[in-house]
Amino acid sequence: MAPDSTHKAALFAALFAAAAALRLLLFQAFPLLPHRLAGRVELSTPVSSFKRLQEGLYLYTHNVDPYHGGVYHQAPLLLPLFSFLPDASSSPFATNLLFTVVDLLSAHALAQIADSGHAAATRLFKSSRQGLRWSSAAIVAGFLFNPFTLATCMARSTTTLTNLFILTAMAKACQGASTTFLLALSAASYLAMHPILLFPPLLVLLYDARADRSKTTPNALAFTAVHTLGLTVISGTLLLASALLTDSWDFLGATYGVRLLLPDLTPNVGLWWYFFTEMFDSFRDFFLGVFWLHVASYTPGLTIRLRTQPLFVATTLTGIFAIFTPYPSVADAALYLSLVPLFRHLFPLMRYTFLASAAVLYASFLGPAFYHLWVYAGSGNANFFYAITLVWSLGLSIIVGDSLFAALRDELDVQRPELRDKEVKRI
Amino acid sequence: MALLATLLALRKDARILKIPPYLSAFLILVGVAWLLVLPLNEYSRGTYVSENALLPGQVHTYFTGSEHDVFRAYRHEVAGLVDLPVQQRTDKLSELLRASNLKVATQKYTYTPSGRNISDENVYAILQGPRADATEAIVLMASLKTMDGEHNYSGVALVLALARYFKRWSLWSKDIIFLLSGDSTSGPQAWVDAYHDAHDPTTIESLSIKSGALQGAVGVEYPAGPWGHRYDKLHIVYDGTNGQLPNLDLFNTAVNIASGQMGIACTLQRMWFHRNSYQERLQTMLRGMLSQGLGHATGPHSAFIPYHVDAITLVTVGDGWHDEMGLGRTVESLFRSLNNLLEHLHQSFFFYLLLEAKRFVSIGTYLPSAMLIAANFSIMAIALWVQSGRPQEPIPNPAATKPASKPATQDASKDSDNKEKEPEQEDEKKPLESPPVVVTKDGATAVIPAALLQVSERPLFLPAAFVVIAHFLGLIPLAAFNHIPVDDLRPAFLLASNLTTLLPLATAYLLSRFNRPTPQESTLIHCFSLLFLGMYLSALATLNFSQSLMVGLLTAPLSFVRRSSGVGAKLQFALLAAINPVMVVHAATYVGKIELLDVLVKAAEGWHIWGMWTQVVVWLVWWPAWFCGSVVVALGLF
Repeated sequence: MAPDSTHKAALFAALFAAAAALRLLLFQAFPLLPHRLAGRVELSTPVSSFKRLQEGLYLYTHNVDPYHGGVYHQAPLLLPLFSFLPDASSSPFATNLLFTVVDLLSAHALAQIADSGHAAATRLFKSSRQGLRWSSAAIVAGFLFNPFTLATCMARSTTTLTNLFILTAMAKACQGASTTFLLALSAASYLAMHPILLFPPLLVLLYDARADRSKTTPNALAFTAVHTLGLTVISGTLLLASALLTDSWDFLGATYGVRLLLPDLTPNVGLWWYFFTEMFDSFRDFFLGVFWLHVASYTPGLTIRLRTQPLFVATTLTGIFAIFTPYPSVADAALYLSLVPLFRHLFPLMRYTFLASAAVLYASFLGPAFYHLWVYAGSGNANFFYAITLVWSLGLSIIVGDSLFAALRDELDVQRPELRDKEVKRI
Repeated sequence: MALLATLLALRKDARILKIPPYLSAFLILVGVAWLLVLPLNEYSRGTYVSENALLPGQVHTYFTGSEHDVFRAYRHEVAGLVDLPVQQRTDKLSELLRASNLKVATQKYTYTPSGRNISDENVYAILQGPRADATEAIVLMASLKTMDGEHNYSGVALVLALARYFKRWSLWSKDIIFLLSGDSTSGPQAWVDAYHDAHDPTTIESLSIKSGALQGAVGVEYPAGPWGHRYDKLHIVYDGTNGQLPNLDLFNTAVNIASGQMGIACTLQRMWFHRNSYQERLQTMLRGMLSQGLGHATGPHSAFIPYHVDAITLVTVGDGWHDEMGLGRTVESLFRSLNNLLEHLHQSFFFYLLLEAKRFVSIGTYLPSAMLIAANFSIMAIALWVQSGRPQEPIPNPAATKPASKPATQDASKDSDNKEKEPEQEDEKKPLESPPVVVTKDGATAVIPAALLQVSERPLFLPAAFVVIAHFLGLIPLAAFNHIPVDDLRPAFLLASNLTTLLPLATAYLLSRFNRPTPQESTLIHCFSLLFLGMYLSALATLNFSQSLMVGLLTAPLSFVRRSSGVGAKLQFALLAAINPVMVVHAATYVGKIELLDVLVKAAEGWHIWGMWTQVVVWLVWWPAWFCGSVVVALGLF
């Protein structure tokens, strides 16, 4: 066992070193690249852009309310964190290092998730194909060297921080560590709001992991109550700290309010912006409600239906977030696409992998081309780019739908072994 | 539901895999045929001016009479200064412009592509429009040397004369900038880069005075010497860098004014005699596409177009009876039209192919041809993907009376081979030998070999890594050719021709030593490379239609080559060696009677100065696709 684990440790050390070296090398060799990428709408949204963070930081360090400019929409606690670092425009190394480290920590969390084995075998469900899996090193390499992750890191989008906390919350839930799980999930929700929707499936995951570890099932109701209370307290503390920091509760409107009400219609890879530029004002509130209801409705539905596979539910929800939240970016898709390989046992059951990956690939090339035609060359228009964001979302939703089908089919194979390898028909 | 079931049943039919090659070939044929019908009247349209503010040719022009004497005087001045050192020439030109009561400034620039030193100086003057608020400007420019390397005596003199003449009018509602650049491409590029603060201040001087947003630019090339020369036609040059085009309205306005108001015939794409027949229209279109596809700068206007500034160059050609004042009045009328603009040119087309001065094809009509050719690669990629998922062993016909003629010994040895090397493959093999599946449906029973229903697991890592590495390999020649000094360019190119031809063979040989890739993996390499190619070309078709079409046609054979053995492999490899990008460039210079070195030097110049992307497409799109295809074919040789 010992030589095996040292071998594994060495492999991980090499992977992490290579990933860090690649990032720092890119930062160093192309000093203009982060700035370029930070300006791309695909990577930087109004709620995650590093340029906007710098604007907020400038106001903050000059003792002006950072939200008065109407540009900064990110969490207040990011400001003291980044104000400790040297100015990113003159000496970017510390900032670059921070984002590199964040990526490595995310990868570490991902490795923990993969090692826990919760993807294929949970307390209540053992997939019939659970032997089919990739090593955690392969999954981590897929995350660290994914061009989408790399681009997000280079653009220094603050979504990387959110992703780190989501992955940590998942890892801690897999390990059954309540406190760190609550801390990580509160931090993720504090930064980006929608990760709060991950609470139900991850709570189920935590419960299963706990039950597995202690061989007794804790009282479900008390368990839920305690953890919900914990989440409320930690989130409340974070919000209170923010209010104390900015001397007012105005930040709520400027951060979560912007996410909820979509006042900034800067284009992004999601589906909302174009729809709401076309919307008559009188219907705006109604459709905002409908759109948010749609996003939120996946959580209870999936958690109940796939109660036995909570990690899969959480992963699918990150995919849903990458498609249906108001300000999604490539970073959200990178998170989802890094989690999907955990479910290697479902791949033989998926039917449209080629179609979906081709759609995502084509969209990631045609998107920048069409954006160029619209904004720089002036020979295209907004419809060009929107059409491509539709293809992008289509590609992602095919993966989400197809993997859901595969998960259900996998479940059916366990419940009805005699149906294995038979063609199924929709009724 | 019944239809869906039929389709699903069809999915399993082995015959379905036979269709894609024919479908691909069909798409390519349709794509080419599509181009050939474009010059017909049914598929093209007459040009028309879309922006109603332009009102081309509606004003009376006054650039006549004594202005002619002024022009001739300027022409003699220019003839005296073209051979002076740069500094003296600049001083003289500045003095001439300043004498017309204009604000004058200069800009020095130095470029060093492939070790050459291109340095010169631009002189420009700003006429502040009497009714303007310095928010918009239009540019009139002439370079001291034309694109063909002649002295642009009359062109520069005309700009000087018009500057003096325009200054006296009170009706300008936009600023007018007169730019006299050192040479025809890098000078305007340095100037327009600096105008938009996109220059490197260490080698290119920043502009000391500026005006507002540029609304249009017109270049003049009139290489008649100090004693004048009457010309026959105006050649309107409109291609920008990377195949971007100016708004069609600007071109139409120029044609409308020159031919309608001034009676000067217009021509384009070096078609000096155009009788408007089918062949000549087609030739014009193909020349336009070639120029667009190469993506090079075709005149002083090319630098402006990437900045979303519509620009054209007017070049005088031939021997005729039109004089310099006719050209001057054309420019005057054109500027009066541009002066009328209320907003940036946006009404008309940005994507078009011109067939003659008054006929064009719009993007909606021509784009399908490039898209069909790009789609052929995607279709083949899908077909190869499906094929790679099929069982690799031949399936015995279940209805055959004879037992499958498989020598048992060979089979056994193969199996033991596999056991030694890849024990994990054993699992995949087992179901192949499982008994036939009996399907009963609607009372009918069918026996299907289990292998037919099997989708074998695809090993994705090696093929994906191979294709990605092939793309990264392209970076080496890309960087090399952009940085090698001019003396070494030719040997480097010859070295590249040899290396690129041998590299697939060497790679295939090396790979075959490790018994990889398996036929399934080589199918996947082929599949991924075609998938990438189809993706790049469809994205490129929206940016530079002609380039995408050209690369698509030159790589079309890649869809049809397969890993085979014996003579077939040799023939395929020979065919691929002939369409090696490096060889194609070689052949093109031979056919076009162009000096190879000139092409290489211009390419490096394009990369460093004009921001040209053609090399990127050649080395990172075309070459990797060719390389992957060649390796797949070469694998059959070993």
